[in-house]
Amino acid sequence: MTIVSTWRWPTPSGRLPLPLVGSVLALLLTLWLTAPIVEVDFVRLFASGGKMLAFAGQMFVTPDWAYVPQLLAKMLETMEMTVLATAIAVVISIPLGVLAARNATPHVVVYRLSRDLLSLMRALPELVWALVFVSAVGLGPLPGVMALAFVTVGFMGKFFAESIEVVDHKAVEGVRAHGAGWLQVRLFAMLPQALPDFVGTVMYILDHNLRAAAILGLVGAGGIGYDLVMSMRLFQYERLLLIALAIYLVVTALDRASDSFRRRILNGRKQ
Amino acid sequence: MTLNKSNLVASLSKTLPPKPRSPVPVWLALTLALLWMIVYDLELSFETLAYGLADMGEYFSRYGKPDFTDLSRYVHLMGITLATALWGTVFALVVAFFLAPLASRNFTPNMVVYRIARELLNFMRAMPDLLLALIFVTALGLGPLPGALALGVHTAGFLGKFFAESLERVDKGVCEGVASTGANFAQMVMYAGWPSILREALGNVLYILDRNVRMASVLGLVGAGGIGLALHDTLRLFEYGQSAALILVILATILLIDYASAWLRKRLD
Repeated sequence: MTIVSTWRWPTPSGRLPLPLVGSVLALLLTLWLTAPIVEVDFVRLFASGGKMLAFAGQMFVTPDWAYVPQLLAKMLETMEMTVLATAIAVVISIPLGVLAARNATPHVVVYRLSRDLLSLMRALPELVWALVFVSAVGLGPLPGVMALAFVTVGFMGKFFAESIEVVDHKAVEGVRAHGAGWLQVRLFAMLPQALPDFVGTVMYILDHNLRAAAILGLVGAGGIGYDLVMSMRLFQYERLLLIALAIYLVVTALDRASDSFRRRILNGRKQ
Repeated sequence: MTLNKSNLVASLSKTLPPKPRSPVPVWLALTLALLWMIVYDLELSFETLAYGLADMGEYFSRYGKPDFTDLSRYVHLMGITLATALWGTVFALVVAFFLAPLASRNFTPNMVVYRIARELLNFMRAMPDLLLALIFVTALGLGPLPGALALGVHTAGFLGKFFAESLERVDKGVCEGVASTGANFAQMVMYAGWPSILREALGNVLYILDRNVRMASVLGLVGAGGIGLALHDTLRLFEYGQSAALILVILATILLIDYASAWLRKRLD
């Protein structure tokens, strides 16, 4: 706390705050030390600017209109995977979230165990799980849905637990004073209060899942990703252009929709 | 007493609001129908899943014996991945630092710039980082640098949006105070903007760093260096022991970063 409170910018003395200067210097040092590892070479970066432009120039081709029906089918598959995985994850993470919330858990041991389980589930990215599940159940959307659902339970369970932990305690006591049982307290006092937060979380996860689903095809787990990688590898820019455009449009549309929806939910129902 | 009971009820029911009807069952049914249609359309067969689950126990048992003989190489690869994530985050930070004030309604010099900056951030956010990595690998050749650039471009979109939203919440009084001293755009941003949101912004940067470490560990799949490539190769060669070791290394690192950033964030609040 004491360190943070000295992080004032226009300092009384007019000089730059020491902690800020110190951390910036430490960051620069780390960057300088890691630059050779990442092969950061600004000369190479600028030298390849021409190549980037040439690549961008190649994108200006007539789109392969004959590919559109297949593109639409693949985009639909991507969106379906997103919705299905999110729905499965919601069903699993509501009970897990209750178990992992400090004020709703039946026992401290259960709380710790479910917290650790959730952080284990969200630790590895979807693509790693997709790789593993593809090896286990074969190619297709199934391993993709499994990987998405698995990872997002980890995120959603944690977010749900956090929104249950901040519910107003008075309402919980009020319901308990009526003689409500364990489950009734959770259902009628905690969940209704946490519901707006839940909806916000689900929208956020839906957005996240759509982005992830668009690239899962890279490892053969269904969706548009496979076509994306193949058109890139085969230099089919007339397809790549369409795919990139389709992903951009769908992601942007969902981004906007979830933003406005979340704002409406969080600012009260009807405004 | 001319008013009998049924009349009373009738007149009351005219003035009383209608009984609330819960739309929940309808929505639930619609959602279930939609999900069922999706399952049907994706041709997901529960038979495959059941067989798969039965096989999965056997399949996962193959990961039972992690093979740590190459541990030093794995740790080195993980180091590359971490460095990639760090550089990606710094690229994003630099871009977002300049774009976010332009994309926040109360600091932007004019609305045209605001719209352009917003759209630019939105575009960067919409491009998947793996696609960007593929593009940069084509242009720059293999190695961690294209990975760092891809992460930087993609997360600059997120970071810029987060920063812009925080900047829009800056207290009006602070802005007016600084503006009344005759501050120009840069001075407004440096003395009213960033100092007010420093903590929030640090939290956001930590979140993005966390996310970039996860992502950097899979960017190797498209040739952008790091531990992902090794994992991909061992999985393709069915070297389950080595795959298990690699997954454990990634898992340990990510959990470590998770705890570190949670600790740091708690100190910031």
